[in-house]
Order: sequence, then structure tokens, then C-alpha cells
Amino acid sequence: MQTQTQLERDRRVEEKIQKVKDLYADAPELGKVALEKGLPDLTREMAAATGKESAGRVGARQGQVSELTSILTFAEGGAKRLRGLLQLLEGNFKGADAVGTLHDMRFVFLDNDTKLLFATAYDGDWDAYIDDFVTKIPNALDLLFCNIEGWPGIHDPNVKDWLVKNQITAEAWYVSSPNLTVAKAWKLERIGKALDEFLDKISE
Amino acid sequence: MASQTQSATAPESELTAAEKVQRLRELYADAPELSRRALENVLGELTEQVSQTPPPPVESAGRAGIRLGKVSELTVIIPLAPGGAQRLRAFLRLLGGNLNGADKVGTVHDMRFVFLDNDTKLLFATAYDGDWDAYIDDFATRIPDYLDILNAGWEGWPGIRSPEAKNYLAKHQVTAEGWFVANDLTVAETRRLKRIGEAVDEFLDKIQ
Repeated sequence: MQTQTQLERDRRVEEKIQKVKDLYADAPELGKVALEKGLPDLTREMAAATGKESAGRVGARQGQVSELTSILTFAEGGAKRLRGLLQLLEGNFKGADAVGTLHDMRFVFLDNDTKLLFATAYDGDWDAYIDDFVTKIPNALDLLFCNIEGWPGIHDPNVKDWLVKNQITAEAWYVSSPNLTVAKAWKLERIGKALDEFLDKISE
Repeated sequence: MASQTQSATAPESELTAAEKVQRLRELYADAPELSRRALENVLGELTEQVSQTPPPPVESAGRAGIRLGKVSELTVIIPLAPGGAQRLRAFLRLLGGNLNGADKVGTVHDMRFVFLDNDTKLLFATAYDGDWDAYIDDFATRIPDYLDILNAGWEGWPGIRSPEAKNYLAKHQVTAEGWFVANDLTVAETRRLKRIGEAVDEFLDKIQ
């Protein structure tokens, strides 16, 4: 990228803008109008494109934060069991803190309780992330995913292949603080608290 | 959806830890061997977890979705109009996955676009700060044109400036049954802490 001259970069952005215009030539009127209005911003963004990277075997990453998105088929009785478990936990996933690399995680029931959307935001590479789950909270995973059709068990040598097969890579992925890992955020929270205490003390 | 979740979880909070563990055992009585074993293995931990006061309880995020502490989830699955997936995919690829326009909204933690079912549907999922209504308003006032470009392929999308836009989104949103967030920080708080962290580092360097 650095070897590109400004002119070449400008030309590439222009080409991209032309392509977007072509793409939206047959869009609904609303979309075409929005494109015209948004063109200056869009040009700036294309010039600044950093590009999403791969999170490893599957998934997208922005900076240090990756996405995992899976849609899984419930086994017989699985939806009822999982919903019951989630409700008894009352949204308390303290165990997930033990993984240490998980930013957020959602369980969404789809298509009349026949499918589960499982989506997370996590730090770093896919392989290391799955390893973290396997070594730190293996039982919790079996408890959650035994409700899914074909779940091989967390200790099965094929578990990663199974996960890859069921994951869908996002086409676009945005993170507001792409270089802030969970660990760094925890550290910043401590620093913020310490600073507040410090300021309180010197103002006494 | 949200109110269903609330009413469904209400009785659980009144159960004692022992009753909850009993319910768990019943729930998993007909589960595969693998998971019954897993349940026994974690029962100690789970007992602790269910008997703790849950950190802040999961609440409704407003019209749809749930919130843990300050951070909410929005998950929508939208049917795509013919040609919509192709246009949107090409657009996202031209951006190189760069959606930094969302920085302007100021309340988005993360956001993903995932094509499903042979490009007939789009999954749009975000983690954001605060209430549903305010969040949609943020999008509508700060990046309306982007939204209409991105949503051009959504079947029946009325346009972000239409009074029907919120109804459309609420109709296609599916409230999560489970939601976890590691850091109870808003996007604004995170930005502030990053500045503080840098300033503290500088300060420590200087006094060395």
C-alpha cells in the first residue's frame, strides 16, 4: 500500500465509486438517492479502507477482534432444554468470563425453535479461541451444545471441523475499538478507578 | 418478544439455589449421556452461579432485544429482494469491510452482516449502548444515507426517514434468549478510558 502513489490511490477509489454507481443503477429509488447524498462520505471511506482480515480458519477479524456466527439445528427436545437452562441462569454467564477472550455472546432461537443462532465477538485467532473454550469451560460447552444435532462433544477430535462446517463468515464486520482486547479493557477499567481514587485523595 | 422474555424469567428469580439445581437435573434428565455427565461435572460451579445475585439482571432493551448492564443486543433477520444480496455484497466488498461510518453513531460496539440461506436472507446483528429507540434514532439522524444504501436490498424497507422504519425493524427483530457482555462499558466510556490509559502511561514515563 505504501508504494502506491496518491494518484494511483485516487484512481482506485474513483473506480470503486463508479462500480458502486453501476451496482445501484437498478436499486430502488430510495437507495439511489441515498447513494448520491452519501457519495462524499463514501469516497472518504473507500480511501481509508483498512480491510477486514480473516480470523483464521473461518470468520472475519477487525484489528484484534473477531466474529463467530453459527446457525445450528436443534436436536429433538434441545430447544426446550436450552431455553430452560438459559432462563434458570437468568442471563448469568459468569463462566464465560473465565475464557477471558470473549467480548459478547448471544443465543437466538430461530424458525419456531428449530434453529439456534450463536454469535460471539472475541479476541484473536479462531483456533486459539476454540482452544480457550475447550480447556477452560469444556463442561459448560457440552451442556449448551448437546442440545444441537450432531454435536460431537467438546473433547472429540472432530469438534473443530464440526464448528467450522457450521460457521458462516460475516461479509462485513465492524468493531468500535478494534485494538481493545477484553484483557486490555479490564485493565483500563482498573486504571480508570485508580485514577478516580487518586484524584479524590489529592482534592481532599 | 422482550416482554415475553421478562415474564418467562420472572418465576426463576424466586427459586432457591437448590430448587434451581433440581430444575436443571429435570431439564437434562432426557438429554444425551454426554451432557448429563457434563451437568454433573459443573453442578458445583452452577450452584454457585445460580445462587449468586446475577451481576445486573438481563433486562429488556426497549421495544425489542435485551440488555445486560449498559450494553444491548439487536438481532434482525431480513428477507432480501431479488438482486438485493448481490448488490449489498458487492457494496460491502468495495468498502473492504470498512464500516467506519458507524463511528459517527457513537453507540455501536460491534456490527455484523451475514448472508443466509443462499443469499435470500440477511442477518444483521449489533451490540450497542442503551435503549432501542434511542439507538435507532442515532442511526437515523447520524448516518441515514448509509442505512438506505445498505438497506436498499431489504424486501419492503420503507426508508429510514419513513415513520414505518421502526415498525419494520421491530417486526424483523428476534430477541435473544441469552446475552453476555464481558465489559460493562459504553462506547463513550471506553473511548474516555483509552485516553486516560494513554495519559497515565505518559505521566508514568515522565516521572521515571
